[in-house]
Amino acid sequence: MKVLALYNIKGGVGKTTTAVNLAYLAAREGQRTLLWDLDPQAAATFLFRVRPRVKGGSRGLVTRSRPIAEALKETDFEGLDLLPADFSYRNMDLELDDTRQRTRRLGQLMRSLSGDYDIVFLDCPPSISLVSENILHASDLLLVPLIPAALSLRTLDQLTRFVTDAGGNRPRVKAFFSMADRRKRLHREVIATLSREHPRVAHSVVPALSIIEQMAERRAPVPAFAPTSPAAVCYEQLWAEVRPT
Amino acid sequence: MDLRRASRPSYLVVGRAQFLGLQDAEGGPITREAVAAALTDQFSVGFGSPSVVRGADLDTFDRRLRAAGFSLHHLSDPVDQRLVLISPGADAPLTMPITKVSWPALVTDLPAGAIREALAPLATIRALMVLDEHVRRIRRGEVRNDDQKIVARLELVEQGTGAMAAPARLSVQPLRGYGCEARRIVRLLVAAGLRPVRPARDDSKRGDTGALHVPIDRSAPATALLVAEWSAYLAALRANLAGVLDDVDTEFLHDFRIAVRRTRSTLKLGRPALPEDVTDRWEPALKWLSGLTTPVRDLDVHELGLPVMAGWLVAADPADLQPFAVQLRRRRSAARRSLVRGLRSARFRSILSGWEDVLADLSRSPGGQATRLTAGELADLSIARAYRRVVRGGAAITPDSPAEALHSLRTRCKELRYALELFAPVSDDAAGKRAVADLKDLQDVLGRFQDADVQKHTLYGFAEQMRAAHAPTKALLAMGELVAHLDADQQQAREGFDRAFARLSRPAGRQRMRLLTAGR
Repeated sequence: MKVLALYNIKGGVGKTTTAVNLAYLAAREGQRTLLWDLDPQAAATFLFRVRPRVKGGSRGLVTRSRPIAEALKETDFEGLDLLPADFSYRNMDLELDDTRQRTRRLGQLMRSLSGDYDIVFLDCPPSISLVSENILHASDLLLVPLIPAALSLRTLDQLTRFVTDAGGNRPRVKAFFSMADRRKRLHREVIATLSREHPRVAHSVVPALSIIEQMAERRAPVPAFAPTSPAAVCYEQLWAEVRPT
Repeated sequence: MDLRRASRPSYLVVGRAQFLGLQDAEGGPITREAVAAALTDQFSVGFGSPSVVRGADLDTFDRRLRAAGFSLHHLSDPVDQRLVLISPGADAPLTMPITKVSWPALVTDLPAGAIREALAPLATIRALMVLDEHVRRIRRGEVRNDDQKIVARLELVEQGTGAMAAPARLSVQPLRGYGCEARRIVRLLVAAGLRPVRPARDDSKRGDTGALHVPIDRSAPATALLVAEWSAYLAALRANLAGVLDDVDTEFLHDFRIAVRRTRSTLKLGRPALPEDVTDRWEPALKWLSGLTTPVRDLDVHELGLPVMAGWLVAADPADLQPFAVQLRRRRSAARRSLVRGLRSARFRSILSGWEDVLADLSRSPGGQATRLTAGELADLSIARAYRRVVRGGAAITPDSPAEALHSLRTRCKELRYALELFAPVSDDAAGKRAVADLKDLQDVLGRFQDADVQKHTLYGFAEQMRAAHAPTKALLAMGELVAHLDADQQQAREGFDRAFARLSRPAGRQRMRLLTAGR
């Protein structure tokens, strides 16, 4: 089972939309896929029309008083399950802090599902916290959406340092440009420079397109409701580039 | 409405938590309007257009998936095609879109993914093939909650026409995490007059050879026992013939050869009970058939063993064996052409039909044979003789004996094994099983010895040809490493011979044979 985390310290950079679309693409090609919405805002949960409620809440999961398998929800898309967010996830740091092996607990929980899934996507909350450390320890790949800006490189370097300093399991880090607007000179220049020069930056770029915004209205992944749209093609290219082998 | 149960498992009725199909208890047709009306207070229901779904039930020829509790289906409708694997105890089936697979296919031909991983240890080297096909008119539906989230999927199999048509059926498949909603859906449908049913088991026997096993006692004519066995082997031979001709997988030829080899051995064992003209004519005919199949099987053994052999390499790289693999495939193609020619020849057809006539004659006139041996008498004679030959051959083996002496002993052991198995129905059961266990150990040692010897010589042969054809030096060196490994294996097997032979020839082993051959 491979674990792929959509992570950035900043919010609003396209983590959730990317997690939802890539998870859909993984399931569409036959992989048993799980998306764990770790963000208490529950945006991914909303996009799959699932109610943001987990029996026992964050505490029940972290302390294992509630089996993780009981919280799973099958989405409307074949092969794709969701572990929904719950507002109590805002306290997950505190719950984790009370446990033994507090930086590895989420990984342990996911390992109990390794016979059921081929790939797990983590839609992470925008923060650096104990939850983030757990994510680093549990992941094989950290996929980082970056908005093309002068500070993008700094964000990526900060994150890479965070991964290096965390010790233990060090996931691969791969960034990609998200919400790119090719009409803006700055976006074009940053993308051209970093995509060419930085080994951790993917060649695929996800532009800022209104069809991606429509996901909130349609409550479905883009390739599901607009399979031939440019946005769907971009996500397919990104998936082809980052798909774990 | 016809309340008969479906003669086959419901279309996609799956999983531990599955609510099974529903049929209308009042006999009226199940319509989508009636289903929607039953659920409308709490859910919204939508059905798509009807589609004709073609389904193919897949398994290996010897039904390995069914034996392990799995079932595999290739479903195609106008929109897409998918492979569906239903695993025992799983909450939901595994599905995978599929486009470019034609059956039969090996597991390695399937797209990578969970289904291939699940099937690989079950099917191993056997091909997956279509064992049954059906066409159904289906309406797929979805039941949604207030958030317009799908909580269960429906499949309405519409009533077909004709004698073989399956009855109309509705199945409710809950989505994971929505068990409560699915139970409520079923309650509402039952309250509306539908009745839950369970699908009947699939008892179809396609893929079986169709051979019948008739109980035979010691006083029955020996020919009756022989004919029963030969009929089973002939059925196996016929059943595997198409797979051999089409080269579906290597096991068809393997099983075909086993049927021929057992027929030959039992023909030899049955000599005292058979007219001379039978043995005179059929022993050479079956020897020809056996020889016809040997080259391809030998090459199959090499090809199947290549991945393991590659793992033996220490100095060489597994990729160095590629020219050898290419050479093997080339030789196999040529050998297969000869095999197919032989199996399509008039000679082979005449062997099949002639042998069938012999079996019919022998079963019609058991009293008219040259001898009137009973099955018990033939068992005693044959087992005692085969055992004596093994003990004599084994006792003559010394550290200086050539490999051929061990090969010859292996053949004798096989004859004894076949005799023990052939006459098991008329022999002491417990003694027979223990004797087979003793023999197995020796057969294993001799088998490893001979396989290593044959493989070594074949490798030498290939290496000579490849050298003449200017094959890369790396390939020849890698083959040299394989020869060294095989040589060590052969030595190890040789060292185990004395212990294995002593187990069979020791007083306890002799006592078992006496028990077997003393009559009951």
